[in-house]
Amino acid sequence: MEKIEINQKVLSKNDMDAAELRNRFKKNGTFTVNIMSSPGSGKTSLLEKILGALSSKYNVAVIEGDLQTENDKERIEKVGVKAVQIQTGGACHLEAAEIEKKLPFVDGDNLDLLIIENVGNLVCPSEYDLGQDANIILLSVTEGDDKPLKYPTMFFAGDIFIINKVDLAPYVDFDINKAVENAKKIKSTLEEFIISCKTEEGLDKVIDWFERGILAKKQCS
Amino acid sequence: MHETGIAQSILDIAIKTALENGAKKINNVAVKVGKMNAIDEASLRFAFDALKEETMAANATFEYIDVPLTGKCEECGYESELEGYFVLCPKCSSGRVTILTGNELEIAYIDIE
Repeated sequence: MEKIEINQKVLSKNDMDAAELRNRFKKNGTFTVNIMSSPGSGKTSLLEKILGALSSKYNVAVIEGDLQTENDKERIEKVGVKAVQIQTGGACHLEAAEIEKKLPFVDGDNLDLLIIENVGNLVCPSEYDLGQDANIILLSVTEGDDKPLKYPTMFFAGDIFIINKVDLAPYVDFDINKAVENAKKIKSTLEEFIISCKTEEGLDKVIDWFERGILAKKQCS
Repeated sequence: MHETGIAQSILDIAIKTALENGAKKINNVAVKVGKMNAIDEASLRFAFDALKEETMAANATFEYIDVPLTGKCEECGYESELEGYFVLCPKCSSGRVTILTGNELEIAYIDIE
């Protein structure tokens, strides 16, 4: 019997695909964002609300990930933005190779901003690099302020942390300060945004974050 | 739920390496899993055992090596295992902690014959 040392990362095929995508996005100056949350936190609502402001100035597209249906793609198209749907069947996350395959459907080499809406799930998507510049973790006040502690790997993968449905905060036992504090115990550099897609509170700051990202990416491409 | 895909990647890498080394079969696959990965050991073992059937790893054992979450504080220099999943210095509570171990998800080695 012989022992062979390997010491190779297990997700290496996905990591290689993601590295290729990252090079391509860099060359094209495409700011790429991966949005992750539980199902029903408001990922698509957030996009519906902010894409209007962004798509009037920039070339924007969305890749939607769900197990089934084209509902989210249709919602994005209604606000006048190019969108393509990935139906994963049963898979709980998106992989880099699927993103690469869908890029031609949204003029993927001529974008200022590409938003990937991942499958609603606070566990698996954090394991898969998609070549993105930033990960957004979205949480809504109906979910509980201890979620960062319960799903630490997701919050550790995040760059910004958005708390949605803040208009409902008076009706639920969700302590916003505690949620932010819990998230920062996992990752101290997380930048937080408190919003309501319903009342549009705080959305201007999120739009501003996207614009800063788009401009920064242009400068380094 | 994503453990199946990870188990398949592990098997693919193990089999490819074994063939490159002229092996007939794989007796053991050792995998290092850092705590910061959202991996369930039982699910990963289950998937590995299901997928290995009818491959050269059909009789291989699966060695799961847990890697703790450790970090170095950039403020006070303290190196230690971190409590829970908190990337906070246990000594001075700073959040400026560089992770030393705990992100690993890699095949360490295989035993072949």
